[in-house]
Amino acid sequence: MGLVEDLAADLGPDRVRPGGPDDAIGGRVPQAVAEPLSPAAVALVLARAGRDGLAVRVRGGGTKQAWSAPPARLDVVLSTRALHRLVDHAPGDMTCVAEAGMPLAALQVAISDVTTHRQRLMLDPPGGAGATLGGVLATAAAGPRRVRYGTPRDLVIGARYVTGDGLAAKTGGRVVKNVAGYDVAKLLIGSHGSLAVITEVALKLHPLPDAARTVVLREPDPDRAAAFCDAVRGAPVTPALVEAAWPEGLVLVRVESTAEGAAAQVERLRDLGPIQELDEPAADALAADLAGRAWAGTGPVLAVGVVPDRLPGLLRAAAAAGATLVVRAPVCAGELGLPDDDPERAARVVGAVRALGGSVQLRRGGEALRALVHDEPGPAVRRLEAALKDGLDPHGVLAGAAR
Amino acid sequence: MAATQTTDRLGTLAERARAIVGPVWVLSDPAQLRTYECDGLTNQRERPGLVVLPATTDEVAAVVRACHELGVPFVARGAGSGLSGGAMPRAEGVVIGLARMREILAVDLPNRRVTVQPGVTNLAITEAVAPHGFYYAPDPSSQQVCTIGGNLAENAGGAHCLKYGFTVNHALAATVVLADGAVAELGSAAPDAPGLDLLGVLIGSEGTCGIVTEAVVGILPRPQHVETLVAFFDTVEEGGETVSEIISAGILPAAVEMMDRLAIEAARAVTHMDWDAESALIVELDGPESEVRSQFEAVARICSAHHAREVRVAASPAERAAIWTARKSAFAAAGRLAPAYRVQDGVIPRTRLPEVLRGIAELSERYGLRVANVFHAGDGNLHPLVLYDSAVPEEVQQSEELAMAIVALCVEFGGSITGEHGVGTEKACSMPKMFDGDDLTAFDRVRGAFDPDGLCNPDKLLPTPRLCGEVPGFHRVHPVERAGLGDRL
Repeated sequence: MGLVEDLAADLGPDRVRPGGPDDAIGGRVPQAVAEPLSPAAVALVLARAGRDGLAVRVRGGGTKQAWSAPPARLDVVLSTRALHRLVDHAPGDMTCVAEAGMPLAALQVAISDVTTHRQRLMLDPPGGAGATLGGVLATAAAGPRRVRYGTPRDLVIGARYVTGDGLAAKTGGRVVKNVAGYDVAKLLIGSHGSLAVITEVALKLHPLPDAARTVVLREPDPDRAAAFCDAVRGAPVTPALVEAAWPEGLVLVRVESTAEGAAAQVERLRDLGPIQELDEPAADALAADLAGRAWAGTGPVLAVGVVPDRLPGLLRAAAAAGATLVVRAPVCAGELGLPDDDPERAARVVGAVRALGGSVQLRRGGEALRALVHDEPGPAVRRLEAALKDGLDPHGVLAGAAR
Repeated sequence: MAATQTTDRLGTLAERARAIVGPVWVLSDPAQLRTYECDGLTNQRERPGLVVLPATTDEVAAVVRACHELGVPFVARGAGSGLSGGAMPRAEGVVIGLARMREILAVDLPNRRVTVQPGVTNLAITEAVAPHGFYYAPDPSSQQVCTIGGNLAENAGGAHCLKYGFTVNHALAATVVLADGAVAELGSAAPDAPGLDLLGVLIGSEGTCGIVTEAVVGILPRPQHVETLVAFFDTVEEGGETVSEIISAGILPAAVEMMDRLAIEAARAVTHMDWDAESALIVELDGPESEVRSQFEAVARICSAHHAREVRVAASPAERAAIWTARKSAFAAAGRLAPAYRVQDGVIPRTRLPEVLRGIAELSERYGLRVANVFHAGDGNLHPLVLYDSAVPEEVQQSEELAMAIVALCVEFGGSITGEHGVGTEKACSMPKMFDGDDLTAFDRVRGAFDPDGLCNPDKLLPTPRLCGEVPGFHRVHPVERAGLGDRL
C-alpha cells in the first residue's frame, strides 16, 4: 500500500490526499497531505511517521514556510486546517482558547462584538488573513503592535501539543497567571514546528481602545529621527504603533487610549517634534502600507533587531544598502526588504546589522542568503537545543528547523 | 554502604569546593548548615550535606561540575524567601548559595536595562535606577529581600503583574550554569534572536534547568500619574463583581487587590487604619495623566454602581502608601488571628471569583477552620490564609487538607494550583490534579534535556515516587526507549 492509503486507513479517506505542486516546501513535493480532525489523529500521523521513518512538516496557512530552512526530506505535510474551532471565549476573563488551525482573522471576528465586548488578540503579524494561530506561534511572528502588547510569548497562556512521538500533552492553562509546570509553550513558540505539533492555544486578550490618534514626523536625518523615537519612548504616552520607515525618513506614531487620553497624548507628541496629525482613513492606509512595505518588492526580506541606542546605525545601514526598512522603534525590531537578489548587497547589510550587535533572520530569500544569515549558537546552547529535539521528537519525524 | 558512599562523596566535594571558592566559603558545620534547611515553606526541612558560597560564574560552574562528576545533587539558593520549598536541599546534597553574588554590574539607561548578579535583590534594581525615573516592574511582596536569581527561578509576579506581566516578560538575557557545569548564554541583547526560547522555559523552572549567574533585565520609566482607591463593600460578592466589571469596561488597572473581613481585621490589628467591611477592593491605575484620570472616574462609578459603601481615593503618596501597607501587612498580621497559618496560592478565572469565594467559605465551615482571603483579584490569583493552632495536631493535619481542598477547588473552576509561589516540594504531588500522565511525561522530557542525571534541584516541580509514592500514569523514559532500542509495552 502507498502512503496515502496507509494514512487514509488511519484517518479516514477524506482526511488525506496526494501531495501536489502547490504543497511543495523548498521545492520538495510531499507524497501526502494529511488534515487530521483531532489531536488524536495528529498523533496517529506522527506515530506512522515514526514507524515508517517519514519526514513530516506542519503547515497552517502556509504563509511562513519560507521563514525556516526547507526540509531535507519531505513525505507528509500535516495541515492543521481542519483544527479550526474556537473552543472557548471568556469575555469577562479576557481569554480565549482556539484550535491551532484557526485563522487569526477568523478568531478576531469570532471574539469581538462591538456591542458586548470590545476585545482583540493583539497580534498583527505579517501573512495576512491566511495566517493561522498555530503558524503565528510556531514562527513567533509579531507585527507593529508588539510595541505595546509584546509578541506571542507574551500573549499565550497555555497550549495543547502533540510531541513527535505522539504524546498529546498540555502546558499552562486558561488563566492569565499560572506558574505550574514547565512553560513548554515558550519552547514551541518560535520552534518552527521542530519539536511538536501545536493543536490548541489559550490566549490573553486586550480591550479595544476607545480612541486612536495618529501622527507622523518626516525627518530625513537618522540621528534626529532616532532621537524623536527615543523621546516618544520616554514621554508619558502609550503608543500602540511607532513605525520608523527608511529611507523615507518617516515616523508614524499611533496613540490609543480614552478620547481625552489620546487627545492629551497627541499634545505631548507635539512637544517632541514637528508632527502632523493624520485623519483616520489616511492613518489606517499608511499603517497598512508600512506594515507591508518591506515585503512589497520581490527581493529578500530580513527580520532585524538591535538594541535601542543602535537605531541610527540600523537606519544608516538600510539606507547604505538601498533597502526598505520599517522598524518598530521602541523595541528596535523590524523588517528590511532588499531591492534585488544581489548577494553583495545582502552581505553588506547583514554584516552591518551584525556589527551593531544586532540579530538577523531570513523571512524571504534564497538558500545562499539563509546560509549567510545562519547564526550558529555556542556549544552549550547547541547541546540543549539538540537534547530538547531528542526529548520531544525522539524519532526525528518533524522536519522543521528552529534556526 | 550507601551512607558511607554519600559521606565520601560529600567529603570529596567539600575538598574540591574549598579549593574552588576558598575554605571560608564552604560550610559543613551542622549548626551552620541548619540555616539552609528550609526556605519560606518552613514546615518542610532537610539539613543539607554541604553549603558552598561561590562568588563568580566560573566558581559556580566549577562547583556544579564537581557535583556532576561526583553525582551529588545540588540546589541554588538566593534569599530563601520562596514559599513552595523550591530551595529545600537534600540531606546528601549541596546548597549553592548565591548571596555573595550581589553586584549590579551595569546600568544601561539608553537601552533600558540593568545587568545584575543573581543575589541582587528585586528592590535594589529599582533603587539603582529610581533617581533616573525608572523602575523594575515585577514586585513580589518579598521584594525587599528576595533576589533576582530566585525571581527568575520562580517567574515571580507581584501586585502589578496584571498590567506589567511577570519576570519572564522583563528578562532579556542570562548567563546560566547548566547541570553539567557548562556555561550557556541564553536570550540576547537584541530582539528576535533565532533559535529556541531557552530563557523563556528556564524562567519559572524552579531551579531545575540550571543556575543563573548573571541576568539582564529591562526597566521601565515611572508612570507619569498614579491613582489609587479603596472601596468597601457589604458583601464579598459585590467586590468580586466590581472587579469583573472594571475589566469588562476595557480598563486595565495596574493592580486590583481584594481583602475579605478576616484579612481586614488582621491588617487592622497591626496598622492604624479604620477599615471595616465585608470586603475591601484596592484599585490602582497608572499611565499618562489624562488617561488615568478619565478611567479612574469610571472605576469609581463602577464601585458605586455595585453598592460600595464608601470609596476612598488616596489624595497623596502617603495615603497611597497607607493603603498598600494595609494590603501588604495582611499576611504577617494573620499571625495575630491565630497561632499559625498557611498561605495558599491558587488561580481562578477572575469572573468565577464570587462562586469560588463561596466555595472557600463552605470548605472553611466544613473543616472548622477560619480562612482569611487576600488576593490579586485582577488576575484571579487567590491567597487564602488558613488559620490554625499548631499546638493541636488535628488542626495541623486539617489545615493542610483544607489548603489542598482550596487548590482542588481552583482547578475545578478551570484555574491553577499556583499563580506565583511555584510548585516546589509543596505542590509537586498536586501536579496530577492539573496535568495528566502525558502532560507530566512531556514536562519530564524537558527537564531531562536540561538535566539528564537528575541532580539539578531534584524533587521539585514534578511528582516523584520519593516524594509522592507511585504516581499513576506518569513514567520516565527509560534510556533504552530514548535510544530507540525498545518500546514500553
